[in-house]
Amino acid sequence: MSFGGTVLNTVGVVFLTHAVYSTHEHTTTTPNTPLPLDITLELLFSILILTTGIVFTSPALKPIQWSKWAGQISQEGQHGEGKWTQEGEEILSEGDPFAFLGLDAGLGGKTEGRKGFWDVRGKRKEYAAWVKEGGK
Amino acid sequence: MEDERELAIHPVVQTSVQHNTQAVSNIRNLTASLFGVAAGTLGLESYPGFIFYLVGTLIVSLLLFVFRAEGKPSAYFHRPLGDLWGGEVFGGLSGFVLTWTLFYGLVRA
Repeated sequence: MSFGGTVLNTVGVVFLTHAVYSTHEHTTTTPNTPLPLDITLELLFSILILTTGIVFTSPALKPIQWSKWAGQISQEGQHGEGKWTQEGEEILSEGDPFAFLGLDAGLGGKTEGRKGFWDVRGKRKEYAAWVKEGGK
Repeated sequence: MEDERELAIHPVVQTSVQHNTQAVSNIRNLTASLFGVAAGTLGLESYPGFIFYLVGTLIVSLLLFVFRAEGKPSAYFHRPLGDLWGGEVFGGLSGFVLTWTLFYGLVRA
């Protein structure tokens, strides 16, 4: 998407420059005559292409509803956005703001982690089975 | 009160709202300057120039609606009518008038 946008921008700038230069030539050589249709069309065409290119190269919008935003983050995970700091560190996208709680088996899924909720019913079943077996 | 309860049930991510507003504002400012170049080169004067700007912003809004918001503006904007269709329309007007007069003077006068 972004590459196509850059191509559109380049083509649009070339057409726009040509159209504006043609208009300048036209008004200096033959003043007080209306602008030829082809220059007008080229100008409007270049503006349309440039506008589309600008929209395409703009950063993607982020969902504002918390559920959708959090769902997108957990699906995509933290990833680089093609930007680096002056020190050469890659700038990552937004991550899960509650990762420090370790609900998903800790940081990066490597540590033990912590359970958000204790499975009461499961524990009760285990206890019932243990009692049935005679409490050994 | 109803709105407050709605926000408590479906919270809104403030950083995303800021990011989206910033993106729309950037696009509006850039395209407004471009429309100014076109209006000045075409030699528009007075009301036709402003109508040209309004038509241009409508096209930009359509492009945003189709390509950036993917047809679901309520997922990206708190108030789609004000933030997407009318967002920053008058913020770009000064940039439009600036390049409009500049290119009218350079090319036409």
